[in-house]
Parts: sequence; structure tokens; C-alpha cells
Amino acid sequence: MKAIGKITIGLVTAALLMVGCVSESAKSTPQKVVDKTVTEESLGLRKTDIYSEDATVASKTEYRSAQATTSTKIQRAFQDAPPMIPHDTVGMLPIKSEDNRCVTCHMPEIAGAMGATPIPVSHFTDFRPRAKLVNNEVVIPADHYKNETQIVKKSELQNARFNCTQCHAPQSQGNLLVENTFEAVYTSKDGASKSSWDESQYTKSLNTVIGGPSFVTEGDLANKNSKAGSLGGSAH
Amino acid sequence: MSLSRREFLKSSAAASAAAAIGMSVPAELEAAAATAEGDWRWDKAACRFCGTGCGIMMATKNGKIVAVKGDPAAPVNRGLNCIKGYFNAKIMYGADRLTQPLLRVDANGNFDKQGKFAPVSWSRAFDEMEVHIKKALKHAGPESVGVFASGQYTVMEGYAAQKMMKGGFRSNAFDPNARHCMASAVVGFYQTFGVDEPSGCYDDIELTDTIVSWGSNMAEMHPILWSRVTDRKLSDPDRVKVISIQTYTHRTSDIADIEIIFSPNTDLALWNYIAREIVYRDAAEGIIDWDFVKKHTIFTAGPVNIGYGMRKSDEKSIKEGKYTPLEMEIISKEMKTTVSNKEGPALEPFGYKAGDTMTHTGGTLGHWEISFEDYKKSLEPYTLDYTAAIVKGDPDENIEVFREKLQALANLYIEKNRKVVSFWTMGMNQHTRGTWVNTLSYNVHFMLNKQAVPGSGAFSLTGQPSACGTAREVGTFTHRLPADMMVANPAHRKIAENKWMVPEGTINPVGVQHIMKIHRDIEDGLIKFAWVNVCNPYQDTASASHWIKAAREMDNFIVTSDGYPGISAKVSDLILPSAMIYEKWGAYGNAERRTQHWRQQVLPVGDAMSDTWQWVELSKRFTVKELWGEWAPSGPRKEALPSVIEKAKAMGYNENTTMFEILFANDIAKSYKLDQNDPIQKGYDNSEGYGDSRKVVGSDGKVFEGYGFFIQKYLFEEYAAFTRGHGHDLAPFDMYHKVRGLKWPVVDGKETQWRFNAKYDPYAAKATKESGNSHAFYGTIAKALKSGDLKGMDKNTEQKSLANKAKIFARPYMDPPEMPDTNYDTWLCTGRVLEHWHSGTMTMRVPELYRAVPEALCYMHPKDAEAKELKQGALCWVESRRGKVKARVETRGRNRPPRGLVFVPWFDEKVFINKVCLDATCPMSGQTDYKKCAVKIYKA
Repeated sequence: MKAIGKITIGLVTAALLMVGCVSESAKSTPQKVVDKTVTEESLGLRKTDIYSEDATVASKTEYRSAQATTSTKIQRAFQDAPPMIPHDTVGMLPIKSEDNRCVTCHMPEIAGAMGATPIPVSHFTDFRPRAKLVNNEVVIPADHYKNETQIVKKSELQNARFNCTQCHAPQSQGNLLVENTFEAVYTSKDGASKSSWDESQYTKSLNTVIGGPSFVTEGDLANKNSKAGSLGGSAH
Repeated sequence: MSLSRREFLKSSAAASAAAAIGMSVPAELEAAAATAEGDWRWDKAACRFCGTGCGIMMATKNGKIVAVKGDPAAPVNRGLNCIKGYFNAKIMYGADRLTQPLLRVDANGNFDKQGKFAPVSWSRAFDEMEVHIKKALKHAGPESVGVFASGQYTVMEGYAAQKMMKGGFRSNAFDPNARHCMASAVVGFYQTFGVDEPSGCYDDIELTDTIVSWGSNMAEMHPILWSRVTDRKLSDPDRVKVISIQTYTHRTSDIADIEIIFSPNTDLALWNYIAREIVYRDAAEGIIDWDFVKKHTIFTAGPVNIGYGMRKSDEKSIKEGKYTPLEMEIISKEMKTTVSNKEGPALEPFGYKAGDTMTHTGGTLGHWEISFEDYKKSLEPYTLDYTAAIVKGDPDENIEVFREKLQALANLYIEKNRKVVSFWTMGMNQHTRGTWVNTLSYNVHFMLNKQAVPGSGAFSLTGQPSACGTAREVGTFTHRLPADMMVANPAHRKIAENKWMVPEGTINPVGVQHIMKIHRDIEDGLIKFAWVNVCNPYQDTASASHWIKAAREMDNFIVTSDGYPGISAKVSDLILPSAMIYEKWGAYGNAERRTQHWRQQVLPVGDAMSDTWQWVELSKRFTVKELWGEWAPSGPRKEALPSVIEKAKAMGYNENTTMFEILFANDIAKSYKLDQNDPIQKGYDNSEGYGDSRKVVGSDGKVFEGYGFFIQKYLFEEYAAFTRGHGHDLAPFDMYHKVRGLKWPVVDGKETQWRFNAKYDPYAAKATKESGNSHAFYGTIAKALKSGDLKGMDKNTEQKSLANKAKIFARPYMDPPEMPDTNYDTWLCTGRVLEHWHSGTMTMRVPELYRAVPEALCYMHPKDAEAKELKQGALCWVESRRGKVKARVETRGRNRPPRGLVFVPWFDEKVFINKVCLDATCPMSGQTDYKKCAVKIYKA
């Protein structure tokens, strides 16, 4: 019931937006069959007509100018979502092999003193069972047919996480073009400001087939009940 | 959840406080804290965005998505996503989701092309589609009914659309946006290997010593692959080399050992330079692996005067003067060009010299065998002097330094015992010689025996999440059928007709209406009905103003199905609300041949329904009598399409049997049962199968109660039948729900990592059983050739079979049709940014992604800005012969072009850059070159 309630709210919001777009001319023209219409211009992100560019100007980028040490943190979008960058990044980017300025403040041992968000334990964890050549044979040390993982806690920041801007971005101020109705649910009370992950949670819920064997069975491979599943004699 | 928010906060606070001071907490309260996530349902899914194909774990609660995390079990990304990947959580929740069909109407509610949009029922929407499709069929037969298809269709949607278009409507005016992103790669694969898709897999990244990115900004466009490259590089920085070959500096260059900035289109010369080093130094240094080359390859050439895929002088809209004199300055080059000083030396071995007139003709795909000596002759011009002079793209770079870099690049490829992976995407594909440059990459890897082996290979990355899985493998292209079969091949048509249970002779043998042709056919008045599926062709096509004008001002009917109202929806006559990715069951196939499935996570919003449902409902409106009679010659088809109605009757159908009964709700389909005891289905919605609690009123005016069978499994399994047993094998449906994707061919449940390599690929093993060869390039397309030399084919030679062999092509550097001149003095390159997907319809509605990059900027060199009196952040006009847009100047951003080039991404509706771009394509692949046209920039 709750689910339906939420969807209804979503619909009402959408309906309100649609109503908000009802054109004046349609309202003023007396007609019975069509009680509301929307104009082409009112739809979508660009509210100017698409046939000429004279009156169209892009949204302006206005990143926060607050300096790293004085900026107010931005709440995480949902539990364990990557936090966005609340401070000016001029002079800090690009990140190069020999020059990653993000880590100078965000490494856990200094972050506290800098007032910076500390890089969480997930970034100090190696998740990848790497392919290796051993005696000219390719070996991958985890069986992905069984959804095996190989997760190892390390003392150094993982190289796979070196490109900070792959997940973390500065945020422009001003209005959104369109609201978003996603509702965050945090499972820890400081979920909006802190990573909640620990080792025990990395592999939680990875088995997604419930109420039957989660591994591939002979029966799965035989695919006997699939009447459409072969060409029935004709090959190409 | 029984715990209220207040209780929850209290309990978790108590638990952590208690833990901190080492005291015990009441057992009941402790249990409650541990299950705060208890009412979240986690399930695996594939990311919605790029061709990398990352696995995500998605949490839902009360019918809504609440969180996304990287899937630690997914081999592609192992617990990590990029910023877009994480924000899959929010992409379906933009407040302006389309919730009901919208039709342009007059005051009386009748369809009116000039009218405003009014909400209508699904039943009314299908009525209108039926009427306008019938009108189009009457106008010009099946060729008049077009579909803009997609590389973002789920496998099932693409297959349903293909069946109805090719098996039902008998129309091949069906082509995906993947044409714009992968077509040159595909033709490159067909020409070189005789079969589509890459040899290697992502494990090559961990196994290689050298990563070369050719015109690809992997750091932003394939971020998770780039994080794997970064991991590899930083874990062994001295041994592992990263080379970034680009037309401007961007994030991919930031961890590179060598950056080569080249002048647009000269990647052709650069590949040939490397090949020249290999061939001309071979005698002295023994570089070529002759054993491999002789056993596995032949040398080939084709015509060079193939045009640029623009409109030809005899086409209707050209003759009618729909193109301005300015536009015609470039379009006229489609028929005739003068060989330039820049391309002159490269074309000499092919019989042209600077100043010659080159007359361009059709027949572009043909090729023939040549001798190694001829191949060697084709490489002769690419000396370091010539190559460096034409390739250097940064006017401020020292030529000596640049020459050293080219030499170093060649040496890295050549170095014995050094493994090399070459990656590329749009830079080499969106190219008027895209097919050529794709084939040139394999030349280098073949001669060094560095292809289809662990850690080495030329590896074409895909752009879209299912450009491989749906567009290419299912074959949602004008010329294709499932699993690399072709509509032009009578044996292939027969196989598909049998499987689809449609009469022999149903499928239309002429498949040439690729996506640019569909736009042009609308402008020429041939196509009168077009349906947009999971793409945005009115924003994403070059020379955009032409196609928008044709849609809005001509007598036709355009329909767009989408989750949000993008530019294509606005241009349309009818807009249909589509279920988005996690609101339906689906499967995608990524760039390493990995097929990944997911289940429906939540119900769609409003009255939105999946594209599969929309196709299946449409099929109810058409009968044997209406579609399967004779069709007179039309457009590209010069012969009548015969009536198959009598054959249909012999199969037990009658004139009034609907396509729904034949193609989708047949007895075989119904054998796939909905079953809540099936662990795959248990607890999951299936809006097409059961209907759902929204009680959507469907196409017949009644509440849609579901098809009553597991239609997604049926569609997947029937499609998979085409793949099984001949090198494209897909695993059973259920298996994909238990693992994190598998790389085809999947034989006896085992995936294939390195295709064509006898050690890893069971098909190659079979083909080499007798010879004992290491490889078999067993593709079957164009595997019998006549012979000739660089100037042409000798018709009198015998056709020679090339079973199990690949091809090394002689192909020269040529100029693109539009290059900067005194008036339009700057190169324009377009593309994406990390935070946005394609035309931005989803990502611009996610607050974090929108705020990260709220506008498309015009990235340019500070000196260019200064010379044009433009200030950082000020508005400028970017103007070509076709149109102009306004954008803000960015001289210090993540993209750092050399003087003479600007980069403007295309995600922003308000910076409509495709109005500026040129719709020239690779004439062999039909793929548009979005990377090169000439513009002028001035203050706005």
C-alpha cells in the first residue's frame, strides 16, 4: 500500500507540473473536447523554441567559491553515495600521476585536522582478483561462475581509486532545470555525511537468487524447457 | 518496517554509543539496529550508461530505488562505479517523467500537426499510429515506415522491434543510433575478420604492458576501464606505458607517458607510419612474425574514390534546393574533389597525385587480394618527415620533439616481449574514413602477432550499453538479422523466416535505409511514418535543422517513445511514455561480448509501459492481409516484394490473423510460464506478464492484465537460438540471472576470453584441429576474393577462398571533406563529458550530475580566445556553413585544445551543437563524423 501511495504522490507531482504548463491560448479558446494542452516549448529542459538560437542561453556554471578549509560539506545523495566537492577546485585539477592534490587533505590521517572528509576504508580496499600469466596460463584468482570475490584491506590508497574526479565533482549553484523526486533513505544516522561501509557489508546480499540454487545447475545448462531456444535443425 | 524513524535513530545511536564504551545493549534493540537495512531489497543489475557494462547492486524499498553501489562480484568493475553509475539510483525520478501519451491536436481533439499536445489514452495513441502507418504503407510501401532504433534497447526490446519491422511490416527502414557510434568498427570487423566484435576482453588490461588510447578519452567515456588502466599503470609505473593519441589534451593524457596531439583525420597516416616502420625495418631487424602472417592473413586493397557519405547530386532534396549555396560548397565534394598537397603523397601509390581530380563513385565495400609488395608500396610515403609534417596537431609543439614521440610510439609497438593493447571508440569510428582506420589498427597488431592473445590486441570499445548486445548481436540495423546474418543473403532470410514462423519470402531483401538515410528519406518524402525508440535522433544527428524541418513542416507522422520529453519528443506528433530501464526485465551486451541480465526492480510511473509492450500492442493492429500482400518497387527497392498471403494460409494462418498471434503470442511463446515458484521470478514484478497494480488502461481501452506468459524469457531464448552453435552462442536465460554476465561464445556453460585463439575459443580450436595453428579467423563474410593491385581489381582472376584468414588492408591518408579555411578557421570536435550521457535527457535531471556540468562549454586555447577577443566565461557564437549556437568560452577546463580547435559537447539542449555539425559519414559504414567540421568563433 505504501508503494502505491508513493507512486500516487509522484503522479500528482507530475500532473501538477503538467497543469503548470497549460498554455494560455488553450485556456482562452472556448472548446469542449480538449480541456488542456501543453506547448512544445513547455516540454523538456529548453524552454525556448528549438528553431532559432538567438534567445537561447545555457545555464551558467557557478561552482562554489568557498576555499577547501572553510566550505560547508554537501550531504550525500543517499547512503554511501559518493560525496560531492563543496569547495573551489581552481589550482587543484587536473590530477596527474605525480600530482594528486586531493589526497593532500583527504587522507584519513590528516583529514580531521583539515576539516576535510576522510577517504573511507573502501578506498583502501582491493576488490580485484587480477588476471595474471603464470607459466603462460591466464589465472584469475576468483571463480566468477560462483560469484566469488577477493576483497583485501590494504594500508595504501588503491590505484583504481586514484582518479578522484571520476566519482566526485564540484556542484554549480542556482536552480535545477527539473526537480528530482528521489527520496534518500539512510541506514545510519550520519549516513548523509559519512560512509557507513565496513568489510562485512561489501559482500552482503550478493546472492540475488532466493528460494532456489544460486549456482548454475546442470538443469540450467541443459535448458530443456526452452522450446524456442534452438534453431531446430537449421544452422547457418 | 516496524521500527519508526524516531525509534531507529534512537536505537542506532544507542548501539554506537554503547559499543564505544563497551557496555551491553538490550538484545531487542541491538537486533533492530542490525536490520535497519532489512527491508531493503538488493539485486544485481547492469549500469544504464556506457559500453563498459559495469555491474551495480541496486536497493529498493517500498517500490522505490533507494541506493546503488558497485557490485563487488561483477568482473567488469569489482565494486567500483563512476559518478553516472552511482546515480543510476536517481535517473528515473526526474519530476517531468512522461506519464501518459500526448498527441498534437486541434480544438476538437483531432490530430493536427500544428496543434499543441493533449493527453490521450493508449487506445487513441495506437489508433493514430495504425492510421498513419497504413497511410505510409499506401504511399510507398514498407520503405515508407521507419524506425529510429537504439543501442540502448534491451536485447528483448530490440528483438521484438526487429521481428515486427522485418517479419511483420517487411520494412528495413530500421536502424539504430548505434550507427552513429559503432558502424565503422563493425565494417572494420567484417572486412578484417569476416565477423563482428572484438577478439579480446577487459582482462587484457591487467595482462598488458602498454595501453594506447587512439582518439578516445577513456578517462571520461569509459571511466571504470580507465580506473583499471590507472591501477595497472601505477602498480608498475616503470614497465607499463600509457600513450594518449588525441586531437586535444584531456583527462586521458593526465596519466600518460607520451601524449601525441594529432591533426584531425591524420590517425590514418599515423597507423600507416607504424606499419611502415614494421615493414621497412623488418629485413634488418626481423620484426614481422612471418609464420603468423603467412598462416593467418592475406593482403588486400579497395577503391579510394568513395566519397564522404553526404547527399549525392541526384537526390531529391538537393535538386529541390533544400540546401543553401554555403552548404553545397561542402556537399559538392561528394561527387568530385581535387587531391590536396597534404593527401597527394599518400595517394600516389593508388594512382593519384596532388592537383588531380578525383571522381567519387559507389561500390565502396569491394576489395581484392594484393601482394605483400603492393602493400609495402602503399606504406612507402609514410616516412617520419611526411608523417610528422601532416600529423602534428599542436602548432606550438616543436617538430623535433614530435618526431621523437612518433618514433617512440612505433618502437613500443615493435618491442619484442612487450604486450600492447590499442583502444579506441568515437575518434576512429566517427570518421569519414572510419572503416579504413579501424582496419589499419589490425594491420599493425597482426604483423607483430599481437592480436587475439592475452594482453595484446586492437580493441574497439563500444559507446552504448547495448550497442553490441542489441544493435549488433540482435541486428537492429537495416541490413542485419540476428547473429551476423544479413537480409541480402537468401539463406539467412530463410533461417529467420523459419524461426519467426513467417512465410518464406516475407523478409525484404533490400536493407540500405541506415539512420542518416532515414532522415534523408523523410526529407525526400519517401518515409511518412517514423517511430523513435530509446534514442534522440532530433538532437543527436548532424545537420539537425534539416531533419527537424522535415519532421515539422512536411506531411508525415513522427512518434517518440521516451521516459522524458527530449528534443525528439518535442518535434514529434505523438509522444509515448516509456518504462525506463529498471522498470522492466532486460539484458544488455557490453564491449567485451558480455551479456548481462536484470529483473524488473520497480513499477513504471504513471501509465508508462515498456517499449516491448508498445511493439507487441502495435502488432495487434496489423493482419496478414494488410502487410503480406505484394508491394510495388519503392525507394531503394527496384523489384516488387511478392505476396506471401497464400503461403501464410498454407501455414495455417488466415487473412485476418494478427501479427501479435504470429510473432509474439504463439504456442511456443506461451510455453514460457509465469511462475512465482521459479527462483528467478519469485517476488519480482513483471508488468508485461501480469499487468500491475497501476491498472493501466491499455491499447484496447481495457485494463491491461498481462500477456499471461514470460514474454521477456521467450524473446531472449528465441533470439538466442540464432546465436547457438556457430560462434555467437549465448547461455540459457536462467544462467545469466545467477552470474554477473558471460562473454560469448558461451559453449557448455563456459565463456570465451580470447576469440579466434585456439587455446581459448572452442570454435578456433575446432577449426585448427588438423592444422595445429594457433589461431583461426573463422568469420564467413567476404571470404572469397579476386586479385588485383593498389589501382584496382583484375576481373579476370579466380576467386580464392580465405577460410580462417584475416586481412591486412592497404589504405591511405585522405582529407575529410570540410577543413578549416580563412573564413571558417577552426576545427570543431564534439563528444561527451563524464557526467552526462548522450543528449542528457536522464543525467540533466539528476541534481548531482546537472550541477557538476550544467552547460556545454566551448573549450578553447587561451591564445585563440585572446585573438578573437573572447573572455573566459563569456558567450560566443560557434558558426558553421549549416548553423550556429551560443556557448560560454572555457579556456582552463578539463579539455585543453591546441590552437585552432574547439571542443563542444552535445548533451545540452540549449547548446544545440548538432545544428553546426556536418552529416558526412564514412561511406562504407554510414557512420557520421562528429569530430570534424570547420567553424568560426566570435563574440555573442
